Amino acid sequence: MPVQQDALWYKDAVIYQVHVRSFLDSSGDGNGDFRGLAQKLDYLQDLGINTLWLMPFFPSPLRDDGYDISDYRTVNPLYGTLDDFKNFLEVAHKRGIRVIIEMVLNHTSDQHPWFQESRSSRSNPRRDWYVWSDTDTKYKGTRIIFLDTELSNWAWDPVSKQYYWHRFFSHQPDLNWDNPAVREEMWDVMRFWLDMGVDAFRLDAVPYLVEREGTNCENLPETHGVIKDLRTRLDREYPGRMLLAEANQWPSDLRAYFSTGDEFHMAFHFPLMPRMFMGVKLEDRKPITEILKQTPEIPETCQWCLFLRNHDELTLEMVTDLERDYMYDEYAKEKAMRLNLGIRRRLAPLLDNDRRRIELMNGMLMSMPGTPIVYYGDEIGMGDNINLGDRNGVRTPMQWDGGWNGGFSTADPETLYSPLMLNPVYGFQAVNVQSQKRFDHSLLAWMKRLIKIRKSTAVFGRGSIQFLYPANHRVLAYVRKLGNETILVVNNLSSSAQAVELDLKPYKGNILVEMFGRNVFPRIGDLPYLLTMGPYQFYWFKIRRV
Amino acid sequence: MPDESILSDEFIRELINVGEVDILVGVPTHNDARTVGQVVQGVRAGLLKYFPRARSVIINADGGSRDGTRDLVCAASINDTVGSNLPALRTLHSISTQYEGPPASGTALHTILAAADLLQAKACAVISPESTSLEPEWVERLLRPVIREGVDLVLPVYRRHKFDGMLIRNLVYPVTRAVYGCTVQEPYPSDYAFSSNLGSNFLNQDLWTQEQGRHGTELWLTLAAIIGRYRIYQSFLGTRGRLESPPSDLVKAMRETAGLLFCSMDCYPAAWKDLREPLPAPCGGCQPAVSLEPMRVNRKRLHQMFTFGISQLEPVFSSILSTPTHEELKRLATLPENEFELPEPLWARTVYEFAAAYHRAVIGRDHVVQALVPLFRGRALTFLTENREAKESEIESNIDKVCQAFEAEKPYLLQVWDGGK
Repeated sequence: MPVQQDALWYKDAVIYQVHVRSFLDSSGDGNGDFRGLAQKLDYLQDLGINTLWLMPFFPSPLRDDGYDISDYRTVNPLYGTLDDFKNFLEVAHKRGIRVIIEMVLNHTSDQHPWFQESRSSRSNPRRDWYVWSDTDTKYKGTRIIFLDTELSNWAWDPVSKQYYWHRFFSHQPDLNWDNPAVREEMWDVMRFWLDMGVDAFRLDAVPYLVEREGTNCENLPETHGVIKDLRTRLDREYPGRMLLAEANQWPSDLRAYFSTGDEFHMAFHFPLMPRMFMGVKLEDRKPITEILKQTPEIPETCQWCLFLRNHDELTLEMVTDLERDYMYDEYAKEKAMRLNLGIRRRLAPLLDNDRRRIELMNGMLMSMPGTPIVYYGDEIGMGDNINLGDRNGVRTPMQWDGGWNGGFSTADPETLYSPLMLNPVYGFQAVNVQSQKRFDHSLLAWMKRLIKIRKSTAVFGRGSIQFLYPANHRVLAYVRKLGNETILVVNNLSSSAQAVELDLKPYKGNILVEMFGRNVFPRIGDLPYLLTMGPYQFYWFKIRRV
Repeated sequence: MPDESILSDEFIRELINVGEVDILVGVPTHNDARTVGQVVQGVRAGLLKYFPRARSVIINADGGSRDGTRDLVCAASINDTVGSNLPALRTLHSISTQYEGPPASGTALHTILAAADLLQAKACAVISPESTSLEPEWVERLLRPVIREGVDLVLPVYRRHKFDGMLIRNLVYPVTRAVYGCTVQEPYPSDYAFSSNLGSNFLNQDLWTQEQGRHGTELWLTLAAIIGRYRIYQSFLGTRGRLESPPSDLVKAMRETAGLLFCSMDCYPAAWKDLREPLPAPCGGCQPAVSLEPMRVNRKRLHQMFTFGISQLEPVFSSILSTPTHEELKRLATLPENEFELPEPLWARTVYEFAAAYHRAVIGRDHVVQALVPLFRGRALTFLTENREAKESEIESNIDKVCQAFEAEKPYLLQVWDGGK
């Protein structure tokens, strides 16, 4: 089932985010690789996902898990060869799975030859490929993102005796996007991968591309200019390919990255994610409905990207101080769980390994307006290791079975890129794909079913949303609609059973068909529609005229 | 079991939507549109500021207002359709119900207690719709001791005008302190908080069909907490505003205070007769609680009403009072206004003899209570005269002197309680 030729394919996508390094080691060197990933495409196809998002797999000193790239045009030898990648891409496409790769536009590694040349002397032709200054006082209004490790956005270079600009770690100097040569070079890099058949780019850290004095150096018009230029070139030369923005901003600021449909196709909805966790903990839909009400309309061809967890910390930048304190106290009681302005934990531990809450959260993820992303391992309820530094605790090897290294690698355990999860609750012997495949009611089996039902209709990916506001604030209910198809979603955010009355007058005379069991519920009449819901239960109903 | 029959079906539906809560703030009202909006906004601000994470609800138990009171309370709701610009983590329901029967603060409290029980509220505060000087801090000072320190009843301490709350200062406070051994300055509170434990206990008491279940119920709650040896705490709230309102009916007030005190003494003699250990009621943040703004008082009228009462109620007093007490009061009635003084010991003995007469039902109990009214006017006149020029500390010392007199005369109470005049 090769990939379909639909320009809006990303609206119907169910994305699986994976790091090549973490998935399967075919060579026995302790690192996952492309051959291993290709071997597991059957698993991913069976899971039902139709798009893969790969974290950076380029050569890198790996001081930021690959987001510090030292060569954009090949594959890190740890993960295989360029041919391995090409083969993987071909096999993925044959299975109807598209591939999104990372493109880190904002910065390189300080080990990248461009930076090595740039720092070698002030007269080097590549000097102007990065942002240099005699002082560390320029762009004073710019916040520091990695508060736990960086004191300034400037770092002193003892070689060329100037400061260089970096929004992230000091070993990640920012490229100078005011330089036309940089723009041409980075487009050339993108073409390199597009020519190979890559379906989309996740553009990392886009708000920070351009700097201007007197601003906060985020979301500047010049940055939008860069994106528009890349999009124009992409549409002209590679129609049907997609750009996904990583911009951790408020929805109103993010809106500009869709522009009139001529910048990004998709963008992550960062503020929604913590509010979903908050809503479930508070047992109150208010945080969720409020942020979605603040979310502006986007052009018809654009789409939000939704996620519960990813490779980074659960970011709390886009919440109020009150909300952040609450989230820390409820979801990161131990200091070690906190990183920067966020929480470095996986989905299952965040939800106390409570199957009902895990299902509810995934149910909301799959039914809200946008394209959902499943982070690798969350489909089986993998845990995290907060004793590992930085965000490595959520990047441990995939747990395939209960055998040697959890089926991830044949290498000696000491040589693995990361220790496996070993504890009795989340360790690979307790949580693994093989054991969950044996039971029809495992989380894995349930996730497959959920994804299948999500994909059975275009309503979830493309339909409109209308919130119902039942008086019971513990219940989040909305109607998704596309053409003649209408779906009612009702989520009980509470840990206790709830009764809820829904105003379904516009659908009077229709019946409800529950989408998981296909059972028919009573016809909608004049009175408010009464539902009783178990703790953390959710329903997806098709509203049908009989 | 909560008495859910007093809750209407519609109200129960609303409570189902609210669900289990941590904090319930009850606001009893009857045609309070002039002030309730401001009060409820203050309550909401207090909940948002001091208990942002708590599941809270404001419940208005209304006696049939026709002035839009209920709408003003409901307007304090915060949910995803209204009030969303406020820094609130959670939905805040502010709902209103009209209880059955005539307006009565006890019925309102009954409704609030039943709702709190149904919602399993861990802490409950009741705020008067007339507390226009309410600051958000009041909510914190009332509820925090219940939530954080396991206190069962938090009573307010206000900074009052020196002549405000005369009945409380000269009768309710001294009797409560002397008889029950608990020093609570406001035993008949307008703004207070209590635990679910005390609330449930009180809800299940057999008082809701009786007078104390309709009027003076707040005092009965305090007495129940004292008698039940619950943990009591007092929180200084600040100045309590005074509303321009018609003079209150002193007979009614006497029924709700002295009447209930006498009734509780009659019902629970074991709780005070053998009392050894006083029940502590520490006060948080207490400051001098008296303000000294000038105030016009008609002392002449008080004097006239005392002397008139002494002469008119002669037969009643003969059956209630001991001869020495009665004679002494009659003698006072002959004094001109500028020489008049009803001293604390005589006042204490008088009140105790009334209590004993109530207990023995020498005449109709309501008549006993009503007959105390003119005598109280004499005591009020004395208090006014004595404190006309007094400073803060002198007034507090004079109030303490009243209490000490009641304490000193407690053996006399025990003597007259069963022993006749």
